[in-house]
Amino acid sequence: MVPISYYLFLAAALFCMGMFGVLVRRNALVVFMCVELMLNAANLTFLAFARMRGDSIGHVSAVFVIAVAAAEAAVGLAIVIAVFRSRGSVNIEDIKTMKH
Amino acid sequence: MDFQSLLKTAPIHPDVLQQSLWMIIALPLLGAFVCGVFGRMMGRANVHLVACSAVAGSFILSVLAFWATSHADAGVPTSVANAFGGAPSRYALWQDLGTWFSAGDFRVNFGLLVDHLSGTLLLVITGVGFLIHLYSTSYMEHDDGYWRYFAYLNLFVAMMLTLVMGDNLVLLFVGWEGVGMASYLLIGFWYTDAAKAWAGRKAFITNRIGDFGFLIASFLVVLLVGAFVKQANDADLQPVASTSARYSAGLEQRGPLTFQGLETMARALPDASGAVKLDTPISSGPLEGRTYGGVLTVALLLFLLGAAGKSAQLPLYVWLPDAMAGPTPVSALIHAATMVTAGVYLFCRMSFLLVMSPTAMATVAIIGAATSLLAALIAFAQDDIKKVLAYSTVSQLGIMFMGVGMGIFWAATLHLVTHAFFKACLFLGAGSVMHGNGDETDIKKLGGLRKEMPWTWVTFLIATLAITGIVPLSGFFSKDAIYHGVHHNHLHGLEWVSGFLYYVGLVIAACTAFYMSRLYLLTFEGQRSPKAKVAHAHESAWPMTLPLVILAVLSVAASVYAFPLLANSKQALMENFLSPVFSAAVGSRGDAGIAKAAGTVALDTSLPSLGSYAMAWATVVAGGLLAAFLYMRFFPAQAGVPAPGFARLIRRTAQNKFYVDELYEFLIIRPVKFLSFVLFRVVDAFLIDTVVVRGTAWVTARVGSALRYVQTGDTQAYAAVMALALLGGVLYAILKVL
Amino acid sequence: MNIEQVLFGAFAFLTLLSAGLVIFARSPISSAMALVSTFFFLAGIYVLLWAHTVAALQVLVYAGAIMVLFLFVIMLLNLGDELPGSRLTFSRILGGGAAAGLFAVLALAIARVPGRVADLGTQQESFGTLKAIGASIFTTWLLPFEAVSLLLLVAMVGAVVVAKSRI
Repeated sequence: MVPISYYLFLAAALFCMGMFGVLVRRNALVVFMCVELMLNAANLTFLAFARMRGDSIGHVSAVFVIAVAAAEAAVGLAIVIAVFRSRGSVNIEDIKTMKH
Repeated sequence: MDFQSLLKTAPIHPDVLQQSLWMIIALPLLGAFVCGVFGRMMGRANVHLVACSAVAGSFILSVLAFWATSHADAGVPTSVANAFGGAPSRYALWQDLGTWFSAGDFRVNFGLLVDHLSGTLLLVITGVGFLIHLYSTSYMEHDDGYWRYFAYLNLFVAMMLTLVMGDNLVLLFVGWEGVGMASYLLIGFWYTDAAKAWAGRKAFITNRIGDFGFLIASFLVVLLVGAFVKQANDADLQPVASTSARYSAGLEQRGPLTFQGLETMARALPDASGAVKLDTPISSGPLEGRTYGGVLTVALLLFLLGAAGKSAQLPLYVWLPDAMAGPTPVSALIHAATMVTAGVYLFCRMSFLLVMSPTAMATVAIIGAATSLLAALIAFAQDDIKKVLAYSTVSQLGIMFMGVGMGIFWAATLHLVTHAFFKACLFLGAGSVMHGNGDETDIKKLGGLRKEMPWTWVTFLIATLAITGIVPLSGFFSKDAIYHGVHHNHLHGLEWVSGFLYYVGLVIAACTAFYMSRLYLLTFEGQRSPKAKVAHAHESAWPMTLPLVILAVLSVAASVYAFPLLANSKQALMENFLSPVFSAAVGSRGDAGIAKAAGTVALDTSLPSLGSYAMAWATVVAGGLLAAFLYMRFFPAQAGVPAPGFARLIRRTAQNKFYVDELYEFLIIRPVKFLSFVLFRVVDAFLIDTVVVRGTAWVTARVGSALRYVQTGDTQAYAAVMALALLGGVLYAILKVL
Repeated sequence: MNIEQVLFGAFAFLTLLSAGLVIFARSPISSAMALVSTFFFLAGIYVLLWAHTVAALQVLVYAGAIMVLFLFVIMLLNLGDELPGSRLTFSRILGGGAAAGLFAVLALAIARVPGRVADLGTQQESFGTLKAIGASIFTTWLLPFEAVSLLLLVAMVGAVVVAKSRI
């Protein structure tokens, strides 16, 4: 048996890597991918705790998270396309309209 | 069927009628709404119709209600059960429209009460009110603000009816404030004239000072009732055939400020048995240690402040003469006949409390006498016809206060009624004079109107004779009833007041005769002044003269009420009629009354003797003849010759109203203005405007312009900050757990 | 060292490796392909957690649908490689540090979580099956489920509105 904490370590590592990517990468698409990584880390945590407690609420949550991730990806990618169409770039360093 | 049994058989049974008492108030209120909202599009004639018929309907209902109060089924008069235990209020109708508001154990019901006192006033308000509405249709025929005027006038009538019909102090206060507002609106009716708008404000603010006293007094009464119900035992309430359980049940049901509950408490207080007497200290609450009698005196003195504001007594009388800025019918209705008598009504309504405090009674009487004398003296030298009448109103109100203060409530009420008739007649006559003379108000520029305005002249003459107190007219009897009571009632510990006030009263009567004769003579007799605005005055139309005639007839006829016409009693008619209301205070057959039980007032119910009648009459005639002599014989002959120095000084002082306004200006208004100026400069302009308001804006702007450099527009920088915050939050949470 | 532990070790290592590739790959295409493999290995981890249904959904929805969407967009926009020399700005250092710090803190906390695994007992047969999850979703969590369907509809409409220049 693998202790649950191992899964949690894995989830934490995945989450932090995703976060690192979000904070460091400049390509908006890659940033989105890293967000997906973070969502997956959350899912993993849900499932690990579901296994630990032996009930299926964690599974239900994971299903919902996947659905939300799909919606987020659809809207996010649409925004990326719209931004690319207006600026010709998906580099988030170039998108600074909200500067002071 | 003879007359007496006719009186005792109301056309509508009281049980039926008392369900509709609210309509007496609702009708003029509806009229005010319709005139105010739709008046402009309805047109002048429709507004007249609506406003007059609203008041007329109210008058008809009032007559029915008044009739029903005297209704008796098989000798048992109609009555209202006493929720506080004890005897029911006889000859009264009552409608309870449920709880108005309640907070904790304090509650106020929306209850309407019509007994002989409020019934009398209902008739005066709606009756005189209707006549004045009718008069106004003609008087205001050239004014564009007619719809506003009639809306305000109807609103006033509704509020005055609320004041009179309220069965508790809070509802009375609603009407009290409402009439104040209506008065403010009507004084400043021609608000484009700055002086008139100022007069409205002056009236309102002066009234506010009095209302403050009224409010504090009401709070004191609430505390007093609260202390009483805690301290009183069954022995206290034994004499009123109630128990402390029933009394507190009544409080729970009706609230502490109903007149019925106060009357029950007042009857229980002076009685020797039981735990609570007038000199018992209050055991708990904010008033702990003070005696019941002491608190009561303070409350009554504060009520006096309120009444002085509304009824234009010293020291708050200054607004009434300025209130003449409003249209003349308004002066007649509000500032002579009805609203200004609210103070007198208040003390009559609370007579059972007033008689327990000789100090308060003496203060009321002395204030009344002083006001009356001062106003009469000022009226000597006023040249504005409405100002003279205004000061005369103040003076007459002072006489009513004298009566109230000396415990002769029925006479004060009678004088209130007769005064409403003849003073309304005088004011409307003055309005008619102004209407026919191009709005001229200076009596020196009138004169000789006798032939040109016969109806106005006749009615004005009758009203003048009534107010001066010439024998067969109502003013003589009502005033003399007051003087007689003042002379023969004695306040315990303050016996000197009676004699003193009686002679002051005689002086006032002489002064009244003097200035009223002067007013009448200068306006109607002699030659037409060469300075008159129009060469020939014209008599007014019938809607103006008809009310004059009716009021003049009433001024004569009302004297009936002062006669002892009853077969089995030597009381005057009015005294007998009002005894159900005042028996708690001054007693009646089979009812000792609070005054006797508390030993505060020694009452004398004898009728005036012929000697005192003759003396009063002689005084009045002397005053009138003096005026006639001076103004008809002496001065015209000496026209152009300057009066002696001292006479001019006196005249100038009186003309300037004894510099009371200037004194107030110096003593109160200037310091207040200075304080306001300091507060404005230091608190408002500097602290609030500069430091707080502009300072906040300045700091925000500076901080914002410094912080905006943080806004790099770099999404990842924002995300990094969020990540840091997340790190901090998680760290904190984990450290808490570890 | 049983097979479960071996599988966990392998899947965990491969997951982290592909995740690292997602982050550090220069071309978006490589990132996307690495992400697909991450999802696959994660699905394996889910299976180890008896979450068969979620693992299947992971493959179907993530690796199948979402990643295809990503690839479509990358192709559509014809994105080339990122220019080299991504500047080392202050916010990047701060963000990277925060991520590393967060991992340290979380590890500290997770170390204290008991490694206990529930004994599934009688529900050994049904745990994590589509039937069990379905029963739960369509009874207790029906309202959130319907809300999610609404969310997907809104996202769909929103995506169309945002992405199309003219509708």
